[in-house]
Amino acid sequence: PHLDVNQLFNPHREPPWQTMNTTLVTQSDCPDVKVPIFLFFTIGLASLAENVLVVVAVTCNRNLHSPMYYFICSLAAFNTIASLTKTCENLMITFADVGHLEKKGPSETKLDDVMDCLLCMSFLGSISSFLAIAVDRYITIFHALRYHNIMTMQRTRAILGVIWITCGMSAISMVTFFASTFIMICFVSFFIISLVIICFLYVYMFMLARIHARKIAALPSSGGRNCHHQQRWGSSMRGALTLTILFGAFMVCWGPFFLHLIIIMVCPTNPYCECYRSLFQLHMVLLMSHALIDPTIYAFRSPELRETFKKMLCWPTTCDRVRWFNTHT
Amino acid sequence: MSDFHNRSRSSAGPGDYVWQYEYYDDEEPVSFEGLKAHRYSIVIGFWVGLAVFVIFMFFVLTLLTKTGAPHPENPDSAEKRHRPGSCVVDSDVPQGENDKAFSRPLLAESRSYFHFYINEEDKGEGRQRLDEKRLGKHFGAEAQLGGCKGRKGTSSSGMDPMEDDAEEAGDRHPLNELLEEGKSDRKCPFLSHFTIPNFVNFPEHSSTLGEDLPYEPSVTLEHQSHSQDARCDIHRGSFYEG
Repeated sequence: PHLDVNQLFNPHREPPWQTMNTTLVTQSDCPDVKVPIFLFFTIGLASLAENVLVVVAVTCNRNLHSPMYYFICSLAAFNTIASLTKTCENLMITFADVGHLEKKGPSETKLDDVMDCLLCMSFLGSISSFLAIAVDRYITIFHALRYHNIMTMQRTRAILGVIWITCGMSAISMVTFFASTFIMICFVSFFIISLVIICFLYVYMFMLARIHARKIAALPSSGGRNCHHQQRWGSSMRGALTLTILFGAFMVCWGPFFLHLIIIMVCPTNPYCECYRSLFQLHMVLLMSHALIDPTIYAFRSPELRETFKKMLCWPTTCDRVRWFNTHT
Repeated sequence: MSDFHNRSRSSAGPGDYVWQYEYYDDEEPVSFEGLKAHRYSIVIGFWVGLAVFVIFMFFVLTLLTKTGAPHPENPDSAEKRHRPGSCVVDSDVPQGENDKAFSRPLLAESRSYFHFYINEEDKGEGRQRLDEKRLGKHFGAEAQLGGCKGRKGTSSSGMDPMEDDAEEAGDRHPLNELLEEGKSDRKCPFLSHFTIPNFVNFPEHSSTLGEDLPYEPSVTLEHQSHSQDARCDIHRGSFYEG
């Protein structure tokens, strides 16, 4: 089966045969579920605003120039590219529907290829950034004393450079050679391997933290009874909840899209698979909403970053620009 | 890459055009006859499976926190586990001129820090107090350095996973140790020292030590009363939360 990346990334672009005489084609019992385009616009613009804010905050505040924040910034940059590209694509589609643009013109298809390339790159980059953040946290916890030697700023920049270049090259090759199922298999297996590694790293960190907590509670002089059991349990619940949200959001948002890719490869003509494929636009909405959720999971968790946001947006209660500039510049 | 190819095969003969669309389901429309299960069974199955997995993961994580009598690990094995990453003092710790003053406490204290942490059964009260005093000084120095980042989220790179209030408490508590050595409050004596992220950031900010020192203590003195419980939270709101 021939795979078409334009069909994949442009849920609103109908296949040509649908614009023609539809009686020629058997109506399927699972019609494509259409998501209104304004929802795509809303999600795209909101995630664009959030992620641009994160990128600007990390670049402008020199206190945030550390490996952890560089990785978060890279994630936000990839999400920005994804949101921007999707919004532009929606704009193009709207114009094309209205009639200002020609759908199949050469420049439009070229522009379309470029946008698909950017989307691919941002997807790959997001996953790589998640992996980098997880590894960075792992090193912070398990090699704390040597962290500053292991994760120097030069290495961070090198890692980020490698990530960006690899994602760019992979995206270009994916869009160019999309017909080959090998590329698709690579994409899907990259996702699954990253998911497994991230899962393992976080659960391992969680388990070690729990073991430490138990040890500390068991210290004879610490008076474990004074460290209220309820307090400990409360924070453990918080930790479990945080991890669950992290993974849950990742899998809920990315899973359906990748299952779609797998289904395209594995069972294109199966009716059950057809019904799954008909929900493609919903899955794209989920994917875009992950760019919206990411800053709340990663970036906004840090008080320093939140302070920077408040000062950038100058909320009345914390508007302290003069002191901020004095201490930060 | 175009969507479909208008394949007019001139080789097929003059005026004999063959239109072909490259979509996978054009020539064989998917037939929905005789489906045994519901049409959307894959969709339903996928979402149910995903929900079950997420809930299962959540319960596994919470069970990990609740189960167990704390089974004290063999101190030697635990020590070995921690040693490669943490107790080994790096010979190439960055030795800027500002760092020299603080690298010696690091070299001297890191080993005792983790030895103390792991070999809790062996240490008596006296050694404990001595270690805590030394660690308090050490961490006090760390916190001053760490506190230069505008007082909040100082050790951001390592503390990002930590809970917000735990992080703010984490900024203040080491200075409490510095100011009040031998505190009688032994509620969570070691929790206050388990501030890994403070280690992480010190080489960067050693140069700005002097500026923030004058007003650091006043900030901590205000929050002394809140530090007791907050210190317990430091560790319990542990690293990965966030």
